[in-house]
Amino acid sequence: MAQLPNLDNAPINISSLREQAQRDLGEALDSMRGRKVLVLDPFLSGPLALIAQTSFLKEHGVEQLYHVSADPVQSECKNVLYLVRPRIPLMRQIAAHIQQDNRQQLQKSYSVFFMPRRTIVCEKVLEEEGVIGNVTIRECPLYFIPFDEDVLSLELERSFKETKVEGDTSSLWYIARAIYRLQELYGVIPNVKGKGKAASQVSDILVRMQREQPPPLPSSVKPPEIDTLLLIDRQVDMVTPMCSQLTYEGVIDEFININNGAVELEPSIMGAQPNAQASTRKVKVPLNSSDKLFRELRDLNFAVVGQVLRQKAVSIKQDYSDVTSAENQSISDVKDFVKKLNVLPEITRHVNIAQHLSKFTTKQTFLSRLSMEQTLVEGENYDASFTYVEEMIHKQEQIESVLRLLILLSVTNNGLPKKHFDYLRRELLHSYGFEHMFTLSNLETAGLLIKQETKSNWQAVKKGLKLIPEENDDINPNDISYVFSGYAPLSIRLVQSALRGDWRQSEIIRLLPGSAFERYEKNQEVNTIRRETTSPTESGPGTDARRLIVLVIFIGGVTFAEISALRFLESQEDMKYDFMVATTKLINGTTLVKSLIDDPSAS
Amino acid sequence: MAISIAAEWEVLNNRYYRKQEIYTMCWNSVDLSRHKVACSKFGGPVAMVRDESKMVQLKAESARAKLLLFTSSGKLLSSVPWDRPGGRLIALGWTDEEVLLAVVHDGTIFQYNIHGELIPEQLSLGQECWNQGVAECIIWGSGLVVLTEQNQLFSIPNLETQTVVKLADPLLEDPPHCMAVVEPQYTLSGNLEVLLAVGSSVLMVDAENVRNQMVDFGPIQKMTLSSNGNLLACFTHDGRLLVVYPDFSKSLLEHLTESALPPEQLVWCGVDSVLLYWEEELVMVGPYGDAVRWAYDEPIVLIPECDGVRILSNTFMEFLRRVPDSTVSIFKIGSTSPAAMLFDALEQFDKRSAKADENIRLISDKLPDAVGDCIDAAGHEFDISLQRTLLRAAAYGRAFCRKFDRDQFQDMCRTLRVLNAVRQFEIGIPLSIQQFKDLTAPVLIARLVNAHRHLLALRISEYLDLSKEVVLVHWACTKIIASSDVPDSVLLELLLEKLKACPGISYATVAADAHRNGRQKLAALLLDYEPRASEQVPLLTSMGEGERALVKAIESGDTNLVYFSILHLWRQRPLPEFFRIVQAKTLARNLFIAYARQNDPEILKKFFISIGQIQSAAEVFLKESWSFSRSIGNRSGSALQGPRLKTIDQAADLYAQTKEHMFERAAAEEQGKLLKLQQEFEISTGQLIFVDSSVSDTIRTLITLGNHRAAQRVKVDFKVPDKRFYWLKVFALATAKQWEALEKFSKEKKPPIGYKPFVEACIEEEENAEALKYIAKLTDPQERAEAYARIGMEKEATEAAAQAKDSELLGRLKITFGQNTAAGALFDTLRDRLSLT
Repeated sequence: MAQLPNLDNAPINISSLREQAQRDLGEALDSMRGRKVLVLDPFLSGPLALIAQTSFLKEHGVEQLYHVSADPVQSECKNVLYLVRPRIPLMRQIAAHIQQDNRQQLQKSYSVFFMPRRTIVCEKVLEEEGVIGNVTIRECPLYFIPFDEDVLSLELERSFKETKVEGDTSSLWYIARAIYRLQELYGVIPNVKGKGKAASQVSDILVRMQREQPPPLPSSVKPPEIDTLLLIDRQVDMVTPMCSQLTYEGVIDEFININNGAVELEPSIMGAQPNAQASTRKVKVPLNSSDKLFRELRDLNFAVVGQVLRQKAVSIKQDYSDVTSAENQSISDVKDFVKKLNVLPEITRHVNIAQHLSKFTTKQTFLSRLSMEQTLVEGENYDASFTYVEEMIHKQEQIESVLRLLILLSVTNNGLPKKHFDYLRRELLHSYGFEHMFTLSNLETAGLLIKQETKSNWQAVKKGLKLIPEENDDINPNDISYVFSGYAPLSIRLVQSALRGDWRQSEIIRLLPGSAFERYEKNQEVNTIRRETTSPTESGPGTDARRLIVLVIFIGGVTFAEISALRFLESQEDMKYDFMVATTKLINGTTLVKSLIDDPSAS
Repeated sequence: MAISIAAEWEVLNNRYYRKQEIYTMCWNSVDLSRHKVACSKFGGPVAMVRDESKMVQLKAESARAKLLLFTSSGKLLSSVPWDRPGGRLIALGWTDEEVLLAVVHDGTIFQYNIHGELIPEQLSLGQECWNQGVAECIIWGSGLVVLTEQNQLFSIPNLETQTVVKLADPLLEDPPHCMAVVEPQYTLSGNLEVLLAVGSSVLMVDAENVRNQMVDFGPIQKMTLSSNGNLLACFTHDGRLLVVYPDFSKSLLEHLTESALPPEQLVWCGVDSVLLYWEEELVMVGPYGDAVRWAYDEPIVLIPECDGVRILSNTFMEFLRRVPDSTVSIFKIGSTSPAAMLFDALEQFDKRSAKADENIRLISDKLPDAVGDCIDAAGHEFDISLQRTLLRAAAYGRAFCRKFDRDQFQDMCRTLRVLNAVRQFEIGIPLSIQQFKDLTAPVLIARLVNAHRHLLALRISEYLDLSKEVVLVHWACTKIIASSDVPDSVLLELLLEKLKACPGISYATVAADAHRNGRQKLAALLLDYEPRASEQVPLLTSMGEGERALVKAIESGDTNLVYFSILHLWRQRPLPEFFRIVQAKTLARNLFIAYARQNDPEILKKFFISIGQIQSAAEVFLKESWSFSRSIGNRSGSALQGPRLKTIDQAADLYAQTKEHMFERAAAEEQGKLLKLQQEFEISTGQLIFVDSSVSDTIRTLITLGNHRAAQRVKVDFKVPDKRFYWLKVFALATAKQWEALEKFSKEKKPPIGYKPFVEACIEEEENAEALKYIAKLTDPQERAEAYARIGMEKEATEAAAQAKDSELLGRLKITFGQNTAAGALFDTLRDRLSLT
């Protein structure tokens, strides 16, 4: 298994977060004595791999590892520990396992750990299935999972759909809880800002939690490490995730899907000899800042990546010839060179990946799609966009990629005119099947594909927030628009505006759905006491040089391109802030759309 | 002064023991010998009921038996008539929670609180025990064992779970000489073990087995286990006292007493000496077999504690214990230990004698130990002035120490204040410091609260920096019970005034208590102050205020709580009312729908129809129609599609009920129509490849199969636009590699979407030669340029682009080609170069 991401360079000490998670996990495993089988929710194995390695499980007595499925757990082991999200279908499968064991009169003990917490509904299902007496029910309160030194995720893949389609706000409570727990580690965050309905809901729940269970007394808490919490509801900006990401990391994600901080690639792509007897098993490549070269490349526009890699390779080549040609090289020169050689495997790796990606990015279809996305975001040529989408449907192109553009079309126009709305929906049903009735209904409920009732204010938003800057330079960017080669992500413009502090008054921001709010933690006494109790050296002029930390939470998901844009802002000279990004799920347009596609025959 | 202290000590070999009077009992004319007496450990209360086996002097006492409860200082707590049914009182005993258990002959166990109030919950040892009658009973802090008149053993090993366990049958004809209990926490197995002295041996009985311990020194008349469970004291028929391990593996001590009669009481004093009490004589046998005796002219009760024994008589409460080492080192006659020197130094200092300084200098390097000993000795002392003197000595010595842990001194002062406060006569809890440490402060506070000493408990909590919540909540609950005639609003004010002193206190607990005591309104008022929804909601639900609970749950934003309320309401209310409640609250409605969708689609249909959300009900039907599809392994035959078509029709009918859902209605109807048509095709072609594919897919399949007429029929039936039909047909023909048919089709009429689809379809099938036929027909030079570019015809592409006068396109082409060739080549060379690793 891959190494855990290195978190040493994080702006705040998130290693302690991972340690806490490890502790929670360890306690859960140890609660069942002796050897045991661990049966995991399939959705959890990825995130857990970011918390602990396989050896960790072994140390805690796990002998075998399974995924929860309809198939029974084939094991002699008497102790069975389930670690699951509180989802009803899983409960039925667990119940079926236990019922089968009971029929075979196998005496086993079962523990079910819910992550992050048990729910009444799941317990009710276990009760109805008649197995609640057989299981010990516990909780494993694991919320944020560190993906990288500046990225945390709850990995709730159903969060957006639940909140915006089903109106089930459970995940908002989880976010609030996650923030609450962060605050236990890093202190109460004094400034809270947010935009969008889900953002204000989360903020309300958080305020309530703090009132219900006041944070610990000032004596036991350090001054807050995070200065500002910025909550952004994904629904405020549905344009950005629908656009194709053009940063290196974004392009990787668009074409080969980054899952839990890693991609899986065919060995041939990674330069394995085709004739070698290497297994056809995919190669897992972790993508996080532990890889120094990736750290350098990930946020660049993909167009630049080839160039940078070439320079690196050329410089090594140059050094190589220097070392081999000149005889009077000092040992230290050779040593420097050898040190440089260490990055060689990394360069090879990324050359391979980049070359693989360029197969997609140079395709005519991709380029014309990009230009259509640009047209849609500019929102000035409705007819061309409509025809383009219509043709995609007629050609039965992949439904996710059709829906991405259709959503862009609907969102930028505040819906489609009734005639087009019905026409395109019918064409969709005819082309992809009537089961997509439910998909359409989901999209409509979420406000992503609707009938036009009023005029769109997209043009005003676009101009007001300079979403399409006049000049864009992908190579030497001076604005975040480089991450989409000409479109500055709306969500990140919101972040900029919030940090400038003018956003509650802004007319433009008011045009976007949901309220923009701002509050200062009323725990003033606590804050002042803290300041008094800290020694004068700490609050001296030295601390002013430290940059303030802003925790930006995207409720409903965030794309890699957006994270890159934030990192770009962070790297600007006049920036006073360091960013931490947290979200319910790392997404791209396709995965987000997929979560909204309803397959009625699946359940 | 020092001399007088040590003069009271008794010596047993090298150890000193000390018996001190703690209280003069303030009860009047209580005769212990006439009562069954139970004293709670850790300085707890004393309970007594007149012993019916003793004669009653009618003149002196009332004829009716009473249950009397006193503090350890003899202060009356309660006096209630003893009139419980069930026959003779067999045993009285206190639990660790200070609940008094009274076991009567038929096996019923009555429970009393410290205020003499009967706790309604009644325990019983069961029918078998009832039939046999209880002969003997042993009660310890967390359980009890009885021996029936037919020599069977029943036990409740854990009073919390209250399960009755019948132990293995010892198969006895006569009652055992005596019995003793090894509490579960002291046994290897973790299960209760009972020792029965039978014949000359001892039987060990647990739930499953009876084991003869093969003891040869019996018959044993009396047995007692030490308070740590390590040692067993036995008194034999021939007047010997033996101390053995509880498994009888080794005998540690044998002492011949002067009596062959067994003592009335046999008790451990701490863990190293044994007390035997015969009428008028108390004998203590030390670890080396030497003995001390005291004469008592009045009856006494021995109360074992962890560090000694309390001796209760009609007039005094005494405490007998081994003298702690620190105290010995200071007060032993002629002691020259550093601590003694320090203590003496203080006396000299008080006398303004220079000898004080001399003393200090003598012990200089041992001073910290001396200070520590003085502090420790102060802790063991009951006499407040002596405590003070010892602490002053410690403080005096500390001044000369370079480094001394402040906390030790402060902690001791704090502990002593607490101890002195509870030892006061009115409170009457004579805890030694060791007992206090074993008991722990929170338990002491709980006991005070239980005895309604709320103010003292609160002070101690504040003083020791412990949570005041326990005390305040208990106080509030007690207050509510005691204030049945105080109006709700007044009582609420009274309660709030005190409760608000403790932020985060559980108002819900108090409210729950008010509710239990029939003060519904007060409970509701109190609940409004509870900030924790997780506390509020369950209580409101149990108070029958399900709807308010739901509102509170929704306010909290905690969906789990909302579900809690919903599921309760669902169970409790008639369905229409439940629907009405859920419908009115958005979050409740959403969650109910989400739950029902996964668990109970039928109720969901009912719900949607009852609230008039017809289109949603239709959607449920529609979704159901899909559950018929892939679940059926063999989907051939119209019979299997019957139920599916029926549900689709039902959905369409429901959509038809509203005007706003024309689109959905049409779609549902089309879905049915398509399914029927596909069935027909499956039957006519004999191939099961149509059902569950889309309209477009059906057309493509038909064309691939060469069934153009059927394809045309689908086009007409479903009003497929020409544009789409062209795309479909072109791609279908290309996939089937029917190039001639494709060409024929292109010439049928001018394609409504131009020749672009033809070009694309050919390129996709990598038939560039075919593609060229159609590229030439493309009218738009730009499209042409791009098409040429796609099949790699650079020159033609550039020409077309030039013709289109599209410089942007030209530039783009250049880049594209550049990337395809130059850049690609560069990557290749790069790769080669790097393979040197």
